[in-house]
Amino acid sequence: MGTLRVRTAPGVGVEVDAEVVYVAPLPDGPIMVLEGIAALIWTVSDGVERAAVAGFVAQATGEEVSAVRSHVDAFIDEMLDRRMLVQD
Amino acid sequence: MNDHETAIPLGVRLRLGRAAVQTIADRAGVDILHIKGDAVEPELRPLRRAGTDIDVLVRPTHVAAMDRALRAYGWTVYSSFANGSPFGHAQTYAHGMWGYVDVHRLFPGIGLEPGDAFTRLWRNRHTMEFAGTPCPVPARTEQATVLALNAARGRSDSLQDLRHVWFDAAADDRSRIESLVAELDARIAFDAAIGQLDRHRGKRDYRLWKAVSENGTRVEEWRGRVAAAPTLRLRVLILLKAPMVNVEHLGHELGRVPSRREIAREFFARPVRGLREARAKRRRPWGR
Repeated sequence: MGTLRVRTAPGVGVEVDAEVVYVAPLPDGPIMVLEGIAALIWTVSDGVERAAVAGFVAQATGEEVSAVRSHVDAFIDEMLDRRMLVQD
Repeated sequence: MNDHETAIPLGVRLRLGRAAVQTIADRAGVDILHIKGDAVEPELRPLRRAGTDIDVLVRPTHVAAMDRALRAYGWTVYSSFANGSPFGHAQTYAHGMWGYVDVHRLFPGIGLEPGDAFTRLWRNRHTMEFAGTPCPVPARTEQATVLALNAARGRSDSLQDLRHVWFDAAADDRSRIESLVAELDARIAFDAAIGQLDRHRGKRDYRLWKAVSENGTRVEEWRGRVAAAPTLRLRVLILLKAPMVNVEHLGHELGRVPSRREIAREFFARPVRGLREARAKRRRPWGR
């Protein structure tokens, strides 16, 4: 699992506007709005090894990796369930 | 994170909408070119405006397939080719998520046969990404020409575009636009845009472009349509259609399907409105 990379799923549209990330499965939608920490996790995770994402988020927020890892994993799992992200 | 709870900025919705329309076109094997709004290269539109809807030009032989595909993905016809404009050039579809898309089967002012015109614009196409989806757009000179022809229809928001792509353009750019205008047989509309329509006085299309470029009355527009029709049969068809009520448009104004009584009332109100417009215009000799 450590070497799996996370990336935007094929057929998913992504737009970033004023630090907010808008994600939508195309062509039907709906548009999902990612703000704050969710937008940050999305932004740093694209094309990155899943195990490294928590480190980037911790660095950006000044938190300990151990403090953010469970939130990061929960977010990525939800995005995988919703088929907005894939890992391979 | 939330779904639908936060207002989506219009520009974001339109860019995602373009990607959605492109996805539908790709799945249906339809060739489309994204035009106007945020599909224009930023250097051609320094005062970047995203617009309020999505505009695409469809290869004319693919229009029926695009229509079927859009309907299959939940888009509904908002205004039809027949009732949208005097040129019958675009059909507007609405979608609860993405807003409106204007599907152009031709571009007003281009005299070249629509299929040949699309092929000419398609030949030098570029790609612009919307929401990560590659979308074909016309090349730079083609975009500038489309913006100029769009300004020929007298839209105030397109006058800035015209100034930038033509009046303030470098000599080389103007020369390339002139060549393309000739290739597309778009001289009269182009001259209407740059204020030289009178060079075409007496030509079949003159009155129509006079009416649309100078925001003429409905009566002037209908007269122009009749004069521009190439055959007697088309003239008769236009004359027969002139007094008909545009039920789609009336429905949009009312916000619901109009009743028979409302359609009848509109039928008798239209000639009166045409007369009022003509009178009002005579009182404003300086008006456009």
